[in-house]
This record gives sequence, C-alpha cells and structure tokens, in this order.
Amino acid sequence: MAELWSLPITELSERLRSGRTSPVELLEAYLDRIERHNPVLAAFVHINANARAAAEEAHAAIRDGDWKGALHGIPIAVKDNHTTADMPTHAGSEVPLDLPEEDGAAVARLRAAGAVLIGKTRMHEFAWGMETPPARNPHDADRVPGGSSGGSGVAVAAGFAAAALGSDTGGSIRIPASLCGCVGLKPTFGLIGRSGIVPHSWSLDHAGPLAASVADAALLAAVMAGPDRDDPGSAGREADDWSDALGAGVRGMTVGVCRTHFFEALDAEVEAATEAAIRGLAAAGAHIVEFEVPELSAALGAIFAVELASSTTYHLPRLRDGSVARFAPDVRLLVEMGRLVSAVDYLQAERYRRHLGQRFAVIFRDVDAVLSPTMPLTAWRVGQREVTIADRPESVLAVSWRLTHPWNLLGAPAISVPFGVDRSRLPIGVQVAAAPHNEKDMLRVAMEIENRGGGPMARVGFPGSRS
Amino acid sequence: MTLDPANLLKLLGLDLPPDRLEEVVGVFKEIRAEIDKLHALDLADLHPAVVFRPIEAEKRDG
Repeated sequence: MAELWSLPITELSERLRSGRTSPVELLEAYLDRIERHNPVLAAFVHINANARAAAEEAHAAIRDGDWKGALHGIPIAVKDNHTTADMPTHAGSEVPLDLPEEDGAAVARLRAAGAVLIGKTRMHEFAWGMETPPARNPHDADRVPGGSSGGSGVAVAAGFAAAALGSDTGGSIRIPASLCGCVGLKPTFGLIGRSGIVPHSWSLDHAGPLAASVADAALLAAVMAGPDRDDPGSAGREADDWSDALGAGVRGMTVGVCRTHFFEALDAEVEAATEAAIRGLAAAGAHIVEFEVPELSAALGAIFAVELASSTTYHLPRLRDGSVARFAPDVRLLVEMGRLVSAVDYLQAERYRRHLGQRFAVIFRDVDAVLSPTMPLTAWRVGQREVTIADRPESVLAVSWRLTHPWNLLGAPAISVPFGVDRSRLPIGVQVAAAPHNEKDMLRVAMEIENRGGGPMARVGFPGSRS
Repeated sequence: MTLDPANLLKLLGLDLPPDRLEEVVGVFKEIRAEIDKLHALDLADLHPAVVFRPIEAEKRDG
C-alpha cells in the first residue's frame, strides 16, 4: 500500500472525506518524515504548534458531516514570506521585520478551505536568490533545491507536506519545482492576492502553489484565487472554472514554440526532454507552431531594472539604519545595487513590459499555450558558481531564471511540470505558459505532459530509510 | 564651480563607503549593459505598464 505522504491531494481528500484516513494520521505521517529527513534537507524553519489541534478539528468536522472541500484536513506548508496568524514570519532573514502575526490573503483562503498549516518553509533571504541555503535537494543532498521557494520545493518532493505555498517574482516557484521534480504554478498576476506577502517587487510578485500533480496545483490555485482589497495589484476576480481542462486533452490546440530566448544555450539532456515533450503533444493532436520574439533579448535588463529598484525601495529603512549589513552577502549586494538603477531605467523597463505584452497578445490570438524548458539545466552542486552550457560560461544565478522571468514581466500564467530526468537522475522541468487569465489552456497542456511523463511525480523515497 | 565627485555621489543617494561602492558598481556593470539594451529600443509614445490610478473614497455609512 502506498504511504500516505506519497499521495497527491486528489487521492488524500477522498480518503479523508470517507473516513478511511484521519487528518491527524495524515499530519503525523508528514511530521514523521520531517523529523527523519529535515535535519539534512533543511526545508522547514518553523513547525506549527497548532497543526495538531487544527487536524483534530478537521477530523471532528468531517466526522460530523461538515466537509469543507478537497483541502479539508490536508497539511500544507507555507513559504516564510507569507504572514500567518499562528506562526512568525521572517522572509528568510535574521533581521527583525516586526511583521504582523495575521494571515495574508492566500493563507486565509487556504485556512478557510480547511487546510492544516503544517509549518513555514525556508526561502532565499527576501526572495533574492535561487539556492535557499542551507536547504538541500532531496534527489541529491550535495545539490541545491533552487529558490527562492526552495524549502517549499523540498517539502513537496520529500513528502513533508501534501503541497506548499510559494511566491514567484522571476521564477521562484517554477525554479525549485523544476530542480526538485514537482509541479510549480504561477497564475496570472494578481489572481491570487498578495497582501501579507513580504514584498520583493510589487509589479512582479505572484503567489502560487508547489504540488505533487497538475491537478493538485490547479486545486490549490483555484482555492487561493480571488479579490484582495489590500492588494493594489489584485485582479479582482475569482478563478475561472478549470475543472474541464484537466481531462480535455490537447487535440486541436495550437502550442507555440519560441526558439529565440527559450531554446538558447540549453543543457543537451534538458533540450532533448523538451523536444520529446513537443513531439508528445503533436502525437496527442496538438498543432505545433514556431514563432520568434527578438525583443526578448532586452528582457533581462527589464526585470533587473524593476526588481532591483523595487527591492531597494522596500528595504530603504534597513539601508538607512544599517541593518542591511546583517543580510547575506549576495542579498546585501543586490539591495545596495538597486540605488544604481535610475527612474529612467525603471520607466523604460515598464514601457518595455507593455511593448512585450502587446507582442504576445498578438501571438496569443493564434497560439493557445507556449512550451519551453523551465530551466536550461538541472540542479547544480552546492557552492558551484558558474556553469558552461553549449560552450557558454554563465553564472548559475543568471542561467537559472533565464527562461522563467519573461512570464513575470508579462504577468502571464506559467507552470513547471516534471518531465524525465538526466543521467544523474536529476529532475527536468518543462514550462507551459498561456495568455493572462487563460490558465485553462495552460493546464490542458500541462496535464498532457504530466500524463506522457508517467503521471504525477513520485516523492523521493530515500533508500535505506523505512519511511 | 568645480564638482566634487564625493558630493555628487551623496547627491545621487549613493552614500556607500568608496571601497564598497567600487565593489557594488563592479558587479552592476554587467546589469548596466543589459539595462542599456532597453534604452536602445524605440518604444515611440508607448505608456509604461504601471500607471497611476486614483484611489476612490468610501463614504461612511449613515
């Protein structure tokens, strides 16, 4: 029989609803995994002392016929930059932030749906990095899990929680999902309210889930979506009904492949896996079209201008009082560097975003979804600073978000789905994106890829361990 | 009037010690090159993506 911690939410919720498994039993299964493996993987920074009481409450409610829905009694982990009523929030920093102990919009919706918040996951400090030290990749503890939602990626892949909440400013949900081998979904900008998230870059920050399957990710995103009056960027609407998308297949769809930018300088095994995914979609009846967007060559400058300027603005109090000196050296450098971005740089970047949006709006008239690798490479070794891919030396930080950040500039939905492994058995992620508010077509393609990859991910089993 | 570079840096809000500023600027050079690609684009009269929206007031009940 499959271990409880290995099952997707879609299976767990049926077990909880029918009474075959209690939320307390399920919580204990995850806590046992955390106790055994978190000392090495360092995914969690806080375990919720109230989780057991919440699980017991869910158990009693379900027993009494008051089932709230598919998340009722399901343990979910929360990235450490979402404020929570019953747990402290540090955004991965040792510098005191004096953040309120109250639920942000996404967390409040999870809690209202009956989810049990199991703990807070480690993140790269202030969401400014792709490694999340000292967290380790469950597939190879000598390698990084990615970031900034690295602890959330580890928690899902290692079976520490049914799913986890993340945030994504340039790829911070999809990058750890790709490196850890789980699904990471960044919905349309503002569809999930961001109030309660420690800001990194106001016009680029997105909230979203990391999960064990496309269906689980869609379920979580739909629950968390909705108007948020405390988020000026809120889309002000509920999620569309995506349920039809998950079983619809891709026959008749048009899937776009943008060879410029998204297929440049890729690891050969990542490239081969992505080409296999494209062939799979074609075999399933999708029409594959190629298109070019030369303007993407300016995307890196745009996201740097917006992200640096925004982050530095947010951290002005800490620059003023000198506490920035207590940031990790890489984060401090970036926060201090933002002062070198001018208002002209920033506004030109925002004009470019509008231009790029107009270009893609034309493309999305004929293309339902866009496919690419999530990242040009698989998980790199802890301490490694540079990689050479296709004879091109590049810093791991520069290479890691190259394929994800365009969708943040566009505010468009994007998802990373595991699709095969490389020769070191490290997961490869494939990215599917679609036009803003067209999560439905993105999910149709993502489901097809997941099915062709052998179904939902398998959590890491840790050979030699009894659980 | 002669321009004192130290005062210029302060005027621009770059109040970092000189050696630290040199380190930060050194790393920023590559990013500057990327941002410069934006400046080379002809975006005609396109407005930026983020625009100002006035905040509507909510009347008190009663």
